[in-house]
Amino acid sequence: MIRESQGFQPFTDEPIRLVGDGGEWLGPAEVDLDRENLGPERLKGFYLDMLTGRLIDERLGRLQRQGKTSFVAPSSGHEAAQVGMAHALRKGHDWVFPYYRDVSLLLALGMPVVEFAGQSFGTRADTARGRQMPYHPGSAELNVFTVASPIASHIPPAVGTALAMKLAGKSQVTLCSFGDGATSEGDWHAGVNLAGAQGAPIVFACQNNGYAISVDLKKQTGSDNIAVKAHAYGMPGYLVDGMDVLASYLVAREAVERAREGVGPSIVEFVVYRYGGHSSADDDGRYRPRQEVELWRRRDPLDRYRRFLERRGLWDDAAEEQARAEIDATLADGIQRALEAGPVPVEWMFEDVYADMPSRLAKQREELIG
Amino acid sequence: MTAPEVTSERSTASGRAAVKTMAQAIAATLDREMSRDPNVVIIGEDVGKRGGVFLATDKLFDKYGPDRVIDSPLSEAAIIGAALGMAVYGLRPVAEIQFSDYVFPGFDQLVSQVAKIRYRSGGVFSAPLVVRMPAGGGVRGGHHHSQNPDAHFVHTAGLKVVYPSTPSDSAGLLRSAIRDDDPVIVMEPKRLYRSVKEEVPEDDHLVEIGRAAVRREGEDVVLVSYGGSMAETLKAADALAEQGVGAQVIDLRSLQPWDEELVLQAAARVGRVVLVSESPRSAGFMSEVSATISEEVMDSLLAPPLRVTGFDTPYPYAQDREYLPSPNRILRAVERALTY
Repeated sequence: MIRESQGFQPFTDEPIRLVGDGGEWLGPAEVDLDRENLGPERLKGFYLDMLTGRLIDERLGRLQRQGKTSFVAPSSGHEAAQVGMAHALRKGHDWVFPYYRDVSLLLALGMPVVEFAGQSFGTRADTARGRQMPYHPGSAELNVFTVASPIASHIPPAVGTALAMKLAGKSQVTLCSFGDGATSEGDWHAGVNLAGAQGAPIVFACQNNGYAISVDLKKQTGSDNIAVKAHAYGMPGYLVDGMDVLASYLVAREAVERAREGVGPSIVEFVVYRYGGHSSADDDGRYRPRQEVELWRRRDPLDRYRRFLERRGLWDDAAEEQARAEIDATLADGIQRALEAGPVPVEWMFEDVYADMPSRLAKQREELIG
Repeated sequence: MTAPEVTSERSTASGRAAVKTMAQAIAATLDREMSRDPNVVIIGEDVGKRGGVFLATDKLFDKYGPDRVIDSPLSEAAIIGAALGMAVYGLRPVAEIQFSDYVFPGFDQLVSQVAKIRYRSGGVFSAPLVVRMPAGGGVRGGHHHSQNPDAHFVHTAGLKVVYPSTPSDSAGLLRSAIRDDDPVIVMEPKRLYRSVKEEVPEDDHLVEIGRAAVRREGEDVVLVSYGGSMAETLKAADALAEQGVGAQVIDLRSLQPWDEELVLQAAARVGRVVLVSESPRSAGFMSEVSATISEEVMDSLLAPPLRVTGFDTPYPYAQDREYLPSPNRILRAVERALTY
């Protein structure tokens, strides 16, 4: 099932799943994880990256409630999909077009905590110089296109970057991440259709958590799922359990390598659930019952994968305790440095509108600063 | 569409030049920039074998192939969005929107992505791209082939906007736009694509973005215009000259940034200004020019700056000519300025 020669089946009715709720292996018995480049360190690395995503989500949520940051976009429940994608890419070589709920993806790609937190706080630690609301980072070093709020507006640009890569011939791939709501936007169709027509080296990664703020998937689309839409664009659509990190990684890897080899684009739908509201400004109690959230928590990507590691003797309580302490220290340090970097100067408001400041803008700056 | 006219070539004192229409000058400039810089690519509808519906990309597909002259799906959001993704990666894409009336499905890409990527990334990413679009009326196309949506772009921080009125300027401004490190909207007056011919330099002819040109000298009134309306503005100036009234005519050529210095100097010196644009009047570009003149040189004015513009209606079909600022409407405004 996961050997290169065979590949995963696109357009399955049920999500592709390799690890059960109890941590048991559901994939083919003969699969040798070492041969899949999944040695013990890599397997543990997946868990550490997911735990980092979970802990920063909780920590920034607390800071928001304390009034130290204005906004968070909770991502607990999405970690396996995001960590799976990150590991399927060549970091700093491939390009990533994320959306605002991708903290685990970005940290797993190597974005320093101080940069992510600095962007959220809008301090001098923000490489984007305090220009956007929290959860909208980008990175030149990591080839991460700066997040924009208008849903799906990053999809046509992602395809353009993929087409440019094809011209450059450096075997690069673009991964474009978005939620289920994005698939209703005209720009989503415009981008995916162009990618199909041009055979662009891109993977469209949908994190389907069932809700676009309060609107559930049944009101979003008449399609059975998102992956099935790929058929109409002439590309495979994979339906994956996005709370299973091994399934997420292996399917993402297949889609990425398919693009790298010049075979073409694909859509991967990761079925996930967000435990928190859409954002810190949301009240999800108005549109979904608590029991539903609790039901999904039983399939938690971290708990499930921890049991998988424990069954293989790769994890235990002591390892958990040590990992949490180390990650907590790293997060606390990065967040502290981001806060202490201090506010950005007012005059930065007028910079980076153009490469060179037009005289009209310089006059407006004088008007404010004097 | 009529076949492209044969161009004649000869040497001039300033180097090689050829007599070209505006459409021919654009195609020749794209050709020279593509041969100079392998990062220059073209994307748009019908830009390939068809050479563009106005032949502005004529023969480029045969020369540079489908990877550099990309026939896109019929989707302005895809064209502009993909151009941005290419630019961020390091290419210098030139996107063509078939008519400026069709830019609106791609408007979100321009406003939310193209205009803001440098700002929102703190200068980490930028969008050195060009979006060309035939604009304006006078071709009996009704409102969906005649509009002049320049003010929308000028109102969007992060975009530059140029609007040539001659073949030579359309070459020089396009070349500057391609080499500029910021996104540039190039609006091309479609009714002048073939109606005017002139010598266009074949060398690296550049027209600086933000620099206006003086087309006529005069001391009684200043006429300021750009794009398609330059034709009627010059006719009005000629009629005034016959009456013994000297009109200085300024062709803005760039709207964002615009040549505030030249316009303010002229306004202060002459004291009477008529502003001509075929865009709708309310919140049009000339409203900004008028406001700036009033704010900066009020003491030198002998009359308020007057606007002659298109009307606040959708662009009509049957009244195609009446909608546009005519020489007579310009003359009436001049009369009012002179007798104020």
